[in-house]
Amino acid sequence: MDSDRRRHSRSWDWDSPECRAQLDDVFFRQHDYIQAGSPEHKEFWTFFDRFQRFKTKRDMTGSGSSRKEEKKDRKQTGHVDLGLPKDYDARYRINVSVCTRDVEERLAKSEHRGRKSSSGPGPQEVSDCRLALLHFLDFNQRQSFGKLAKLRREQKNLPIFQYRDRIVDLVRRHPVVVVAGDTGCGKSTQVPQYLLSAGFKHIACTQPRRIACISLAKRVSFESLNQYGSKVGYQIRFETSRTAATKLLFLTEGLLLRQIQQDRTLAQYEVLIVDEVHERHLHCDFLLGVLRTLLESRPDLRLILMSATINIKLFSDYFNSAPVMQVPGRLFPIQVIYQPIPPEEQASRSEKLDPRPYLRILQAIDQRYPPEERGDLLLFLSGVAEISTIQEACQIYATHTRRWIVLPLHSTLSLAQQDKVFDIAPPGVRKCIISTNIAETSVTIDGVRFVVDSGKVKEMSFDPKAKMQRLQEFWISRASSEQRKGRAGRTGPGVCYRLYAESDYDAFAPYPVPEIHRVALDSLILQMKSMGLGDPLSFVFIDPPPAASIQTAVTYLKEQGALDSHSELTSIGSLLAQLPVDVVIGKMLVLGSLFNLVEPVLTVAAALSVQSPFLRSSQHNPDCATARQPLHSNQGDPFSLLNTFNAWVEVKGERGGGSRKWCRRRGLEEQRLYEMVNLRRQFKDLLRSHSLLESEDSAPSAGDRTQRRDRLTERRKLHQLKRDHEQQEGSRRKVLRLDEGQDGDFSSGSDSEEKGKGKKDKKGPEQDVDIQEVKFKLRHNVSELQDAVNVSQDLSSRQQALLKLLLCRGLYPQLALPDEHNNTRKDSEQVFHTRNKQGVVIHPTSVFASDPEVLHVPEDETREMGPDRRDSSRHQLLAFVTLLETNKPYLSNCVRVPALQALLLVANSVDSNADCTRLVVDGWLEVELREQEEALNVLSTALTLRAEWERLLQAQLGQGSMGVSGVHGVSRKAMEKLSEGLVRFLLYTEVSYSLRRLAAFQTQNLYVGPQSESELFDAKSQGLNPLFPGLEAKPDPIKGGLRVTSFFTYNCLTDSKDLYSECLRTFWTCPNCDLYMPLTPLERMQHEASCRPKGEQHNEDPSDERASSSSSASSLCRVYHCDICNEDLKLTSTEILKHKRQHMYSVK
Amino acid sequence: KYKRSPSEIFTCQLCGLSSPFTYYGQKPPNTRAIVLLEECFVTKDPFSPDKEKFLVLGSTCSMCSSCVCVGSDCSLFYTKRFCMQCVNKYLDQFPHQIQAELAKKRQSSKTAVS
Repeated sequence: MDSDRRRHSRSWDWDSPECRAQLDDVFFRQHDYIQAGSPEHKEFWTFFDRFQRFKTKRDMTGSGSSRKEEKKDRKQTGHVDLGLPKDYDARYRINVSVCTRDVEERLAKSEHRGRKSSSGPGPQEVSDCRLALLHFLDFNQRQSFGKLAKLRREQKNLPIFQYRDRIVDLVRRHPVVVVAGDTGCGKSTQVPQYLLSAGFKHIACTQPRRIACISLAKRVSFESLNQYGSKVGYQIRFETSRTAATKLLFLTEGLLLRQIQQDRTLAQYEVLIVDEVHERHLHCDFLLGVLRTLLESRPDLRLILMSATINIKLFSDYFNSAPVMQVPGRLFPIQVIYQPIPPEEQASRSEKLDPRPYLRILQAIDQRYPPEERGDLLLFLSGVAEISTIQEACQIYATHTRRWIVLPLHSTLSLAQQDKVFDIAPPGVRKCIISTNIAETSVTIDGVRFVVDSGKVKEMSFDPKAKMQRLQEFWISRASSEQRKGRAGRTGPGVCYRLYAESDYDAFAPYPVPEIHRVALDSLILQMKSMGLGDPLSFVFIDPPPAASIQTAVTYLKEQGALDSHSELTSIGSLLAQLPVDVVIGKMLVLGSLFNLVEPVLTVAAALSVQSPFLRSSQHNPDCATARQPLHSNQGDPFSLLNTFNAWVEVKGERGGGSRKWCRRRGLEEQRLYEMVNLRRQFKDLLRSHSLLESEDSAPSAGDRTQRRDRLTERRKLHQLKRDHEQQEGSRRKVLRLDEGQDGDFSSGSDSEEKGKGKKDKKGPEQDVDIQEVKFKLRHNVSELQDAVNVSQDLSSRQQALLKLLLCRGLYPQLALPDEHNNTRKDSEQVFHTRNKQGVVIHPTSVFASDPEVLHVPEDETREMGPDRRDSSRHQLLAFVTLLETNKPYLSNCVRVPALQALLLVANSVDSNADCTRLVVDGWLEVELREQEEALNVLSTALTLRAEWERLLQAQLGQGSMGVSGVHGVSRKAMEKLSEGLVRFLLYTEVSYSLRRLAAFQTQNLYVGPQSESELFDAKSQGLNPLFPGLEAKPDPIKGGLRVTSFFTYNCLTDSKDLYSECLRTFWTCPNCDLYMPLTPLERMQHEASCRPKGEQHNEDPSDERASSSSSASSLCRVYHCDICNEDLKLTSTEILKHKRQHMYSVK
Repeated sequence: KYKRSPSEIFTCQLCGLSSPFTYYGQKPPNTRAIVLLEECFVTKDPFSPDKEKFLVLGSTCSMCSSCVCVGSDCSLFYTKRFCMQCVNKYLDQFPHQIQAELAKKRQSSKTAVS
């Protein structure tokens, strides 16, 4: 038997896969705890090898030596006997056993039968394997329990842990509670968990930044032992991990506001936590206001405000003296050193920053602290230009000393470059991170020991007078200053160098200016209107914005057509309120849905809503510039963006992941393109849900069954890739090279950024799996996208003209006029004027900055009509997306449009003189036409086109709001006819005119003003007021003249001749009917409006073959009482004219 | 004897560690051939993506019946569960290996504190 066993063992080989497979049949069957083929199974065999090696080693050293001593110990036992085994065995320490008796018996039987031939595992092998398995199970238990214990220990050590019960108790007893705690106290991760474990369900926690939603959801689900479940989820604009099981949801402030729009009482939540309220973002301030009113209708709702220990009383008071729980933070001591910049090193406004004060600090650190003491430096500057100046100087020092790696950090860097600040410096070398205020709150970098604070910040402010955003440098607040300092004490004691005096610090404002006081409130007011919150001026904000700022926004929204004259939402306004974009972008989308231009408009709208994909740093790289060249369009920046997006989708379709390289070569940030494609999809869905877009054919590119199956398999694979990526994410951090910062991407420019616009994603592009590509493929159907893109590629010149008009109407009143002397100026000195701001320039990133000639009026086509009058039919205007003042006022994202046509089709106010040869648009642009005849033609065409456009738009919107699906409210034919008309008007209007900006003194006596009763009576008695059917032309009470349509006032300009003087009458033949008679311009337009070409009449109403001017459309007729005939006649306006004329001539 | 409760909390009487458990007994669900040698407070292993993996949080001391976690500071398993207090009380009955191990641990934790 013994020899038998030996022989048997000899044939057993632990390393042979066959032998292992036989044991797998015993221990790792299909339904076992660990199954063959699973990752644990693989781990087991690795563990097994280690375990065997360990056993062999132990057997050789003979650790059984201590056994003899045990008996001696036993003797001392007291009265209780624990009944422990006499011989020690590690096996006794494992509380698990594995029962495989059934399998073993079966095995034994088969072994018995075929003893000779079998080389299967004997009892010894089975027992060895079982022992290893027990140790493996125990090892895994210990590991997991260790993690759990560590987690609980860390939670317990957080300062906020002591307050756990008190916080839960306060929330139970009060509708609103303020939790105030400084950095590191753990409030953001712990408070939601305390409430969860206290039994609260349906908790929402808002964050100002998207990245925080994701990272908090991840952390909290880990901490609440639910990392593989969906109890804790997040929801941001394009991504959600929320399921029906989600009890705690992290979401952005903006998203919660949108949810309130849909669900007024937020019935889906039991508890709301608003985090980081002290940051005072626009959305957050507004959200607090909305929640304050919402609480009245939801007494059961619990609201928790979480804040740094800044201005706590403000929040508590706003919510009826809500109780405050103040929690100390956990910061290591930080030494503050005030080192004001000496006067001779202070930069004057025009000069570059002097780097000497900064270099001295680097030197001081090198002298004072040995390099083996780790700790990085974080340097706060105000803007990108400042960063590159100091970066350059520090880099020279770093190259010399080889003790620093200099890294810039701001939001215009590519994500890959931003990501470098999280990498690790090699031993003996420190990171020197030069950052904007992005690192104050949005980006948290561990391992910082030294902070240098310049005390400056560039902040966006809004100038309501010029309707311009302004990026200006300010001193920071004491609160910001403390926040910056705190960044040095997160992982150990630190030092903060302040480049200002303590007296400066004392003079700082206590808190930063809340965003609501600094920005344009257009979107906010629109949202308030759509939420039915009443008069924005009487809304109780936590810190009300200036009334003037609200008023400006209301006026602007009226100009945009989102609010009517009573400040109520229009139908387009209520739609715009639901789009999560700027009003101007939303308008484009709505306008685009009317014409066959949805696809390109979707792309442009998406492109204009994200940061530019064109990296600033690549602009000066000649290779990038050349590669980019084919993407540029001299029609305007939106067209370049459109081209870029289309080309990218093309590349995606052909090469998939190869798009990354394609982007890099062109200096494009691919992340922005991914954002665009997501946003575009959201816009499309929104338009569809408002019936502004026909739903796509329900069968999603059905294909045959195999195709569908293939797609399904691919999706499953992609999901797996995504999960794998999420598993390993964040675990790897690269070690930086010493020459890392010297890549020479000193981006020059005047940009800086707003807080919070920064990093959205921490994933570097250098990983093996392009996770963005995976997500892209999961979310979008590339071939569908390609189809959509093909529609917008190679637009015909007609489509292009129409698209430009749509953009222009969307962007209106954001128009700029090229200065008349631009032809004679250098490229870099081209000047433009907007209505409210003179002398603005084009941002260097715009296509018109490098190619300004396309905006010039061609010399050979102009006619000098006087010293300051140049007539041409080629004047152009720029419609722009943003006007931002940094060191100069810059226009960005511009598109050029034909001036006269665009103005007549989009402007809110067009005023004319008596013969319509002089027009003033919006009170600032003057158009003078040479020929009266041409002037009337142009004006009349524009009025007709606009009326039709408006009619179709209203039909489209009305239909959308009624939710009728399927049937489109606007007939394709009517739409095609209109677009044809618009295109013809845009491209083929050959009218010579001059265009200039009115000087201030000229705008003062622009209008004739209110006219006397007798004049008005005169006008009425002439029967001329209803110039357009359905529109009553009334004397304008302010400007004078006659208000013909909502936007056109006739003859109100001061140089006007007498309204009805005969000298204005000229003989005119109507091209449609046979009318030939002398008419005033007004009469003529009136006739044209009601008289339509014969062909059209037939089309409209084929049953009425006898269509003539008298019966063209009965709706145009009205009852006219002729005093001379003393008869009531049913006539159109033109017919009334004709009729009266008969009398006139007969009298004479 | 087997108890199943969705959200009862296990709390260690020595270190205070607490966590919800989903099962108490010797045969957690879906463990097939695996049997626990003592009645344990068990939960799903939160650190494994596999839903079927279990994690033992703790059990009751075989001597004093106090509820203790499986952490090495709180209890020890040697054919039975002993809380640390009982281990220390009856230290002499434990094999030499365990005594040595505990002495070594006490030593190292002392140096860590000082």
